[in-house]
Amino acid sequence: MSLKVRAEKKLGKFSLDVDFSMEGGYCVVLGPTGAGKSLFLELIAGIIRPDRGWVRINGQDVTKLPPERRGVGFVPQDYALFPHMNVYRNIAYGLRGLEKGEMDRRVKEVAKKLGISHLLDRNPRTLSGGEKQRVALARALVIQPRIMLLDEPLSAVDLRTKEKLMDELKFVQSEFEVPVLHVTHDLIEAALLADEIAVMMDGRIVERGELRKLFSSKNEKVAEFLSARNLFEKLSSLL
Amino acid sequence: MKLYFSIFLALLSSVIVVFIMLPIAATIGLQFQDSEAFASALSDEAVWKSILLTYYAALLSTLIAVVFGTPLAYILARYSFPGRSFIEGIVDVPVVIPHTVAGIALLVVFGSNGLIGKFSPVKFVDALPGIVVAMLFVSVPLYINAAKEGFASIDVRLEHVARTLGSSPPRVFFTISLPLAIRHMAAGSIMAWARAISEFGAVVVIAYYPMIAPTLIYERYLSAGLSAARPVAVILILFSLFVFVVLRVLVRGGDVSESES
Repeated sequence: MSLKVRAEKKLGKFSLDVDFSMEGGYCVVLGPTGAGKSLFLELIAGIIRPDRGWVRINGQDVTKLPPERRGVGFVPQDYALFPHMNVYRNIAYGLRGLEKGEMDRRVKEVAKKLGISHLLDRNPRTLSGGEKQRVALARALVIQPRIMLLDEPLSAVDLRTKEKLMDELKFVQSEFEVPVLHVTHDLIEAALLADEIAVMMDGRIVERGELRKLFSSKNEKVAEFLSARNLFEKLSSLL
Repeated sequence: MKLYFSIFLALLSSVIVVFIMLPIAATIGLQFQDSEAFASALSDEAVWKSILLTYYAALLSTLIAVVFGTPLAYILARYSFPGRSFIEGIVDVPVVIPHTVAGIALLVVFGSNGLIGKFSPVKFVDALPGIVVAMLFVSVPLYINAAKEGFASIDVRLEHVARTLGSSPPRVFFTISLPLAIRHMAAGSIMAWARAISEFGAVVVIAYYPMIAPTLIYERYLSAGLSAARPVAVILILFSLFVFVVLRVLVRGGDVSESES
């Protein structure tokens, strides 16, 4: 799998101008709030179109394709589960057109892999944060996407749940053999999950590579954003 | 102090409740002292005809409001485009102009020599279509605003996710947006229907005949006085109370089933 993006988009005073590529694995786009991370994912998913440039998935130019024909799995912040459908119908939503038996088999298979088989009759409103995430992942994975786009998937859960969910995200990537592009403002998430990190600031990818490389970045803004590291050092000196 | 404040709130509130209740209760109450007139109105075919015509015309106008108002409500809730505020303003115009003025404006368009009326094979003046357009004109803002609020309250990310799951915009509309806005749409329809039923000013200008209930009451009041108009008014009040109480119960019943599911 390969994803290549070279695109510009202006929205009011904000402008997104990205040059990005990934070849699979687990990539985290790290950046402060307002850096344009969600916009970047929406551009890849086809929810917004670039003013200039292109998006290529596996070499195919998808810039002009609508979201429904791009084959990407999208998990927005807070998961956006359909509140008027139970978990089963949420997961099956993307499988329209399949024969009923096949649809049922695929829903149950993905539910089993993610450990949510017992939740299929439940209403999304009654689920915990972790359960919601797994349902949102299942719903996106069941269509066998070419890439998974995760928008701040761990921002709505507490620290303990977060730790567990991070393991699950890694599991998803390896079990379903799907590349993951995950955006977050959280350095710990990026450090623990990513094979590769790209730092986004003011609508641009300003640095990328492994965590260690980022910490030695010469870019002042990146250094400032990552200065949270000093906080951890202070914290650990207290312990 | 807290008790005084509660009493203060309760006192002011009761003034408005009494203000609404008193004329209605008095009209109904006094009518029971003249049960003979009430009984004769109950068996008066013209009364029932006018009430049924009122409800039927209001139902037609509400259906038209839903069919044409829902897409507009969706557009206004979902898209920003030049002139949106202008269109929102236009939608609210019928609320702020006197209804007799609305009736005259409709006459200019739908009258026998009107812009549309001149060419239309359908007759509007003193006919059911005239009643329906008058009701539609005054009631459609209520429906559009309620439906718009419903669509606006849906997290747009639900629609985005549905798109990435392979759904075209029409399918997203019918499987996600519409079901999630349906309660607002239902509430808006009931409000619009109620508003259409209660319309008099615009209707009477364009279609005095066939008589809807408010026109019949007005006509009886002018020709034979309060004692002739009141029994019909009481029947209309009781009938409307019954219909809208039943509708409220139905809508609330829907609420219960949703929170349980």
